[in-house]
Amino acid sequence: MTGFEQLVRGFSVALSWKGLLYCFIGCLWGTVVGVLPGLGPLAGMTLLLPLTFGLDPTIGIIMLTGIFYGAMYGGSTTSILVRIPGEAASVVTCIDGYEMARQGRAGPALMISAVGSFIGGTVSVLGLMFIAPPLAKVMIAIGPSVEVVLMLLALFVISIVSAGSRIKTATMVVLGLLLGTIGLDNLTGAPRFTFGSPELSGGLSFAALAIGLFGLSEILLNLEKTETIKAIQPKLRDLIPRWNDVRDSAPAIGRGSVIGFIFGIIPGVSHVVSTFVSYAVEKRLSKHPEQFGKGAIAGVAGPETANNAVTGTAMIPLLALGIPSIPATALLLSALTIHGVQPGPLLLTDRPDVFWGLVASMYIGNIILLLLNLPLVGIFVNLLRIPYQWLVVAILVISIIGVYSVNSSVIDIWIMVVSGGVGYLLRKLGYEMAPLLLALVLGDRLESSFRLALTMSGGSYATFLDTASVVVLGSALGLLLLIQGLAWVFGYRKSVTDEAERA
Amino acid sequence: MADPASVTDHANASHGTAAPQPGSDRPLLPRVIGTRRGGLLVAGALALTGLIFAWQASLLDLGQIGLPGPGFFPLLLAVLLVVFSAVIAIEGRLRSSKDEPLEFGHAQVLITFAALLAVPLLFEFVGAYITLGLMSAVLLVFIARVSVLPAIVCSAIGMAACWYLFGELLGVRLPIGPF
Repeated sequence: MTGFEQLVRGFSVALSWKGLLYCFIGCLWGTVVGVLPGLGPLAGMTLLLPLTFGLDPTIGIIMLTGIFYGAMYGGSTTSILVRIPGEAASVVTCIDGYEMARQGRAGPALMISAVGSFIGGTVSVLGLMFIAPPLAKVMIAIGPSVEVVLMLLALFVISIVSAGSRIKTATMVVLGLLLGTIGLDNLTGAPRFTFGSPELSGGLSFAALAIGLFGLSEILLNLEKTETIKAIQPKLRDLIPRWNDVRDSAPAIGRGSVIGFIFGIIPGVSHVVSTFVSYAVEKRLSKHPEQFGKGAIAGVAGPETANNAVTGTAMIPLLALGIPSIPATALLLSALTIHGVQPGPLLLTDRPDVFWGLVASMYIGNIILLLLNLPLVGIFVNLLRIPYQWLVVAILVISIIGVYSVNSSVIDIWIMVVSGGVGYLLRKLGYEMAPLLLALVLGDRLESSFRLALTMSGGSYATFLDTASVVVLGSALGLLLLIQGLAWVFGYRKSVTDEAERA
Repeated sequence: MADPASVTDHANASHGTAAPQPGSDRPLLPRVIGTRRGGLLVAGALALTGLIFAWQASLLDLGQIGLPGPGFFPLLLAVLLVVFSAVIAIEGRLRSSKDEPLEFGHAQVLITFAALLAVPLLFEFVGAYITLGLMSAVLLVFIARVSVLPAIVCSAIGMAACWYLFGELLGVRLPIGPF
């Protein structure tokens, strides 16, 4: 069956009433968690993960992925209207988006942001569709030693590109790998660090840890804050941008699509980095760089397009290699595994319905989000009227039920609560949780592949330096160096991060 | 066009605790510690975690260098965790920059965390819906500053909604306790 025929079949899944319904639910919930400060795509996906258990795997993944890219759309709303980023990838949008809103131009900012997000998201899905299948074919031909090299490279890059202290990030990576060893050993079946508890034999629950480390710690941190939210209320008729806005934002949207697509390959914080780079590029190329920071529409269009263009690219390593590059795709990996679907090179041959159904749903989801976000922006902004303390109660109840329902185990609630407390302390002291979660997901496979590669080579470590490993490592490193070089050329760190902090 | 005058104020978390002032009348909570001391404490805790894992891993079959057993990988990682924690501690100790204060123990954080700790203790014993209803009522009273009666009514309605959504529509089976 050709790729086109498989895509048509994917559309038949995505356009079924169930596919459409759950894609809509995912997009709607994603927008809500994107709008609400303190809830990001990861927490949003984790909260609804238990709802997918009774669904067909393809439909469940369609809904969870909808939350992922829906949150990217929603995050811009609060950045523009409240100057509070709904999630990390919308920090840069606060700079010019809020300035535009203060000048009474919130409508065009929201409109351009939504259109840019739609174009960026659609371009990245095209990339996913064309790159993932050939990449998966290459991966089938290579062995566990190359897998080890790739996973180590991903973890190394996560440590390097981290915004915080590198040694702290590396420590979180090691801690994540260590926590991943809890449970039965994959190769021998020996129990490790279970202390006789059958609940721990399957390892620590990823959902419990993810909700604790990300969701619960974020809630505890937000409860400390005392500032007042000031939301600007746009009117629907004000959404139409002027010709000047369209002219200024069109090239920024084009460049943002390319930047987001390329930077989506970087493991760890690609969705955040891509927005900073896009902003720096737009400022560098603008004829009026002095307008940036004072309400330049290109400063909204570029970053918002870029953070949505990342979503499709971030799915490539997950679906073609089985290696998640950001926490949200780590959760998707966990969800697919729960559903008995193993992401990786064999996904396209074993379960093409999942891959192509997902690709088709992403096209549809981007259209749903465009239609959903613009007319309903007033409703989403009104979500901010709900007192945060009331939201906390609702989120905690849903989280606890969700975590318990995965394994019907109280141990998982303990894990969630304890990891929430630990995450709160660690985050206050500058440790990042994303590397820990990614390492936790990769740890099991890294160890299995490592030991399998050594067994196959008769105990020779030279297997990690064979031709295939060196070629893959060299290519990946070359690509990452090129991307890092581009970021350095545009100096995004020193210029844009300063402006984001000032904003 | 959005009118800047139409800006509306929404108190989001207006019950937060003010930073404590130094002096003899300093309140018990929140406590302020320096990032340096906090960093050292966390590094120490991470190192201790690494040591415990290393000790437990050493009790497993380590295998050979060419054919590692189940204890090899965790032991390697535990040693790395101890080393990295030591580096963080030394880095924090030598840091010459200003030691920034960090606040811990805000009332809302402590109440929420205490309520959460009670949940797994009661969850199977008294039932999921009663436990979560109690937690909701406590948080509404102490965090959202809602009066007791409305808080109980809201919690009861919330739990009925949860029972219908999760129990009836989604088929999630939660412990019902002794009732």
